[in-house]
Amino acid sequence: MKPTISGSRGIIKWGLALTALGLAAMVIVYVLALVYTPFEVRQGAAQKIFYVHVPAAWSAMMAFTIVGLVSILYLWLRDERLDAFAASSAEVGLVFSVIMLTTGPIWGKPIWGTWWTWDARLTLTLILFLLFLGYMTLRSAIHDPAERARFSAVVGIMGMVLVPFIHLSVYLFRTLHPKPIVLKASAPSLPPVMLRTLLLGFLAASVLYLGFVVLRYGLARHAVAERDEEN
Amino acid sequence: MPENTSYMIAAYVVAAVVYLLYGGSLLTKGLRALRKDR
Repeated sequence: MKPTISGSRGIIKWGLALTALGLAAMVIVYVLALVYTPFEVRQGAAQKIFYVHVPAAWSAMMAFTIVGLVSILYLWLRDERLDAFAASSAEVGLVFSVIMLTTGPIWGKPIWGTWWTWDARLTLTLILFLLFLGYMTLRSAIHDPAERARFSAVVGIMGMVLVPFIHLSVYLFRTLHPKPIVLKASAPSLPPVMLRTLLLGFLAASVLYLGFVVLRYGLARHAVAERDEEN
Repeated sequence: MPENTSYMIAAYVVAAVVYLLYGGSLLTKGLRALRKDR
């Protein structure tokens, strides 16, 4: 289905509103985490890195899972909108991954005594990041839209398959990385005041993911609509 | 100041810079697209 200028303008407006809302929610998370949430006894201030690292990791994994699901739909329906949405989600996933992969080592240095260790969780996460960098490179290297969409859908699905392994890697292998404290079968093992800040962090990162993706998708559709109109 | 404060500040600054750079770039492009069509 061909995009129209007015249709893409509507998507951009939604994206702008959601992005602004997500950024405002993130400011609230910063204030709550830095001012109102108490310090953890053993880790001190480093523990507060958790409130930016974990929500960013959540959004990155959500983004890459959505790329895979939307790519499966693309291979089935061959709708170019699905390809554009998958590409938007992959780009946004990379942005959240950059935050996850930089804030993690900043926490690791004072707590583990090293910036990086090649354990299963960290290594698989880095591989996922590199795989989606490859996904973006592949997209820019292929000019035929149908071929680009088909090839990148396959890479996107392979990336999605890694996500559950990354979540379970702390159970399957001996790793330094802490085990999940919220996304697990039993109740969250966190004091209520810390849990509240973390849950708000998840909400802010999710709204921000949605805002970024909708805006990025709207801009991509707008560019196609403009090009079609010129031709 | 509690222990490891500098690491905490570094992590929060890095995350804020990434969010603002990417979010700011998208917001600018979105507003520019809307303004251009007006």
